[in-house]
Amino acid sequence: MCIVSNAAQTKTTSISPRNMTTFEEIYNFYAPQIFRVCLGYTNDSNQAKDLVQETFISVWKNLPSFRNQSHIGTWIFRIATNHCLRAIEVAKRMPFAELPFNLADTFEEPLEDKLNFLYKCIAELDETDRIIISLELEGLPQAEIALVVGLNSGNIRVKVHRIKEKLAKKFKVYGQLR
Amino acid sequence: MDNLDDLKVIWHTAKTDSLPSSNEMLRLIRKFRNQKLRSKWLSIITSLMISMLITTVLFIIHFKFVSTYIGGILMVVSGLLLAATNIRSLKRFYKLEDCSNLEFMAFIEQTRKNQILYYNKTMIWIVIICSIGWVLYLYEITYQNPMECFAVYSVIFIYLAVMWFIVRPRSFKRDAEKLNSMQQRLEKILRQLK
Repeated sequence: MCIVSNAAQTKTTSISPRNMTTFEEIYNFYAPQIFRVCLGYTNDSNQAKDLVQETFISVWKNLPSFRNQSHIGTWIFRIATNHCLRAIEVAKRMPFAELPFNLADTFEEPLEDKLNFLYKCIAELDETDRIIISLELEGLPQAEIALVVGLNSGNIRVKVHRIKEKLAKKFKVYGQLR
Repeated sequence: MDNLDDLKVIWHTAKTDSLPSSNEMLRLIRKFRNQKLRSKWLSIITSLMISMLITTVLFIIHFKFVSTYIGGILMVVSGLLLAATNIRSLKRFYKLEDCSNLEFMAFIEQTRKNQILYYNKTMIWIVIICSIGWVLYLYEITYQNPMECFAVYSVIFIYLAVMWFIVRPRSFKRDAEKLNSMQQRLEKILRQLK
């Protein structure tokens, strides 16, 4: 049964992933999350915006046939991460950040600099690790990340643990975290 | 890990207010929604229309030579083959609405294999069938005038030679580079998913 349509409808209910019925509601709820995940993957704001656009073009096209076989969020994250993996041209242009050697003095830097530093750390990871940690930081349950990536939950748990260790090490070395 | 919450706090400070509004996004979607597969749709529609046109001509005009009919049929067959190849490829894209990263990478790998098969076999057969079709089809029209016949066949052979020996190898080389880099990237990503 088709549960959603992209025809414009009047909003009558509060917004949550379970009762979203229009494209506008879905877009407003998920676009920021998808943008952060794409930004985590590309480390480039413009490319991330392009990927958000491609994702929602796919969502728009397939929304009428979406059959609720998976949670709508999982479905949208799958589309977004597949677009990330597919974007070979993104991979070519992607700034693969090499961390500077001496960042010990950056402890007191504002949150924005820490965010840029986090993106640089993530950019050093493998493609799938970038996706997994972005979804984890976005707050997706690991079972849902497993459905997005196509691995089992156990695998994801191990991978998340390893990626977090890598990131924590970088942050600790450079004095970015407590 | 104690630091994950800190990372999450940092992660969620990313500014998202530069994203287009839902209305702007809808406008962009309407503009770009069919752009990606447009070339496939165009080749399907064009090849089907040409095949229908040739079939109509074969039915309406009464040709004397069997070679004309054989030529026409071969051209129709090559057009249908081209359309069928593109429809098959389109169907695969439309089926791909809900799959995991792992399944998606398998899909990309299959697409790459299909592209190689298309360049190495299907495309060659389509060009050969279409060329033979042209040569046979035009014979009846030109055979009474040797000069015309010579001119028409010269143009056809030059065109085919240019397409076969210059255009095709160049486009094949360009696409092969793309396919090779895609294969390397796929292998790397698939290794990460193991």
